[in-house]
Amino acid sequence: MPERSYLGEMELMVLLAVVRLGDDAYGVPISKELLNLAGREVALGSVYAALDRLQEKGFVTSALGDPTPERGGRAKRYFRVTPAGLRALRMTRTALSNLWSGIPLLEGKRS
Amino acid sequence: MSGQKSNPPRQAIWLLQHACPGSDKEALTGDLIERFREGQSRVWFWKQVLIAIAVGVLGEIRRHWPHFSYAIAGTAMPAFLWKTVEGVPAVLHWYALPWPWSQLAFELSRPALLALAALPVLAAALVINGSFRWVGLLQTGMINLALIILGHYLLGLLDAFPWLLRPVPGNPYLFTILILPPPSLELLFFSSFLVSAWLGCRSPRHADEFERRARS
Repeated sequence: MPERSYLGEMELMVLLAVVRLGDDAYGVPISKELLNLAGREVALGSVYAALDRLQEKGFVTSALGDPTPERGGRAKRYFRVTPAGLRALRMTRTALSNLWSGIPLLEGKRS
Repeated sequence: MSGQKSNPPRQAIWLLQHACPGSDKEALTGDLIERFREGQSRVWFWKQVLIAIAVGVLGEIRRHWPHFSYAIAGTAMPAFLWKTVEGVPAVLHWYALPWPWSQLAFELSRPALLALAALPVLAAALVINGSFRWVGLLQTGMINLALIILGHYLLGLLDAFPWLLRPVPGNPYLFTILILPPPSLELLFFSSFLVSAWLGCRSPRHADEFERRARS
């Protein structure tokens, strides 16, 4: 399928969480960030599905960390935003800002 | 914390490892164990595992939608084409061929035509998907033909167990149908088409591109 260069809602939120978390962006903190800042309780499987799509689009890269005992000897997979991911975020913000502007109903100015 | 409480359900982990598609299973399992040891319940753990499997399966369908389109079209076609396909050897006088060609035509013409009939659907889906390759299409057709013939003969072996068969109403001499739940044959067809498309249209080139992108 020709790859989409725009972001779906879940992809946008997950990508923003990855940017906010910087070097500590893996599944658990990303899902906590979505809960704390966006009020969304997202299953970890859905977070990974979104990260998988973002990686397919070239918006994030990933690398395995070291296995730790508190995770049953499983390694963390850390994600990092790419320049293409940052470009997609800026384009999405511009598009959303354009759509939001000039709507009195949403700005509390009922005419 | 007791051992029982600090250890997540082993069956759920086994299910996640074996039933969840995707390459991030180890990291996902580690994340779930980490959250469980932070105080989440066993019910929460099971729920997360089931959601991960459902999301993974849906992701696979999304990723391989041409294969699923082919399987759905191929499964639906026998219902519409069986009578038409059945008449093709007679119309083309294949029965008049010398033995063993007449026997081969009798045995193989229907599976061959069924295997070919859904290929245009796969071709169209692959073109839309941007992953069309003639080799993949040819491989899919050949693998599917082999699987349908294999299934045809394996089902034929059931003639040795007459208590599994019963006559078709109105035509007790030529046809029998299996005492199987109605969707069984459809599931066999679906599996055959799906497996053949998956085997025939695997593209190492795309996998390499994905890896290269992931590394960059």
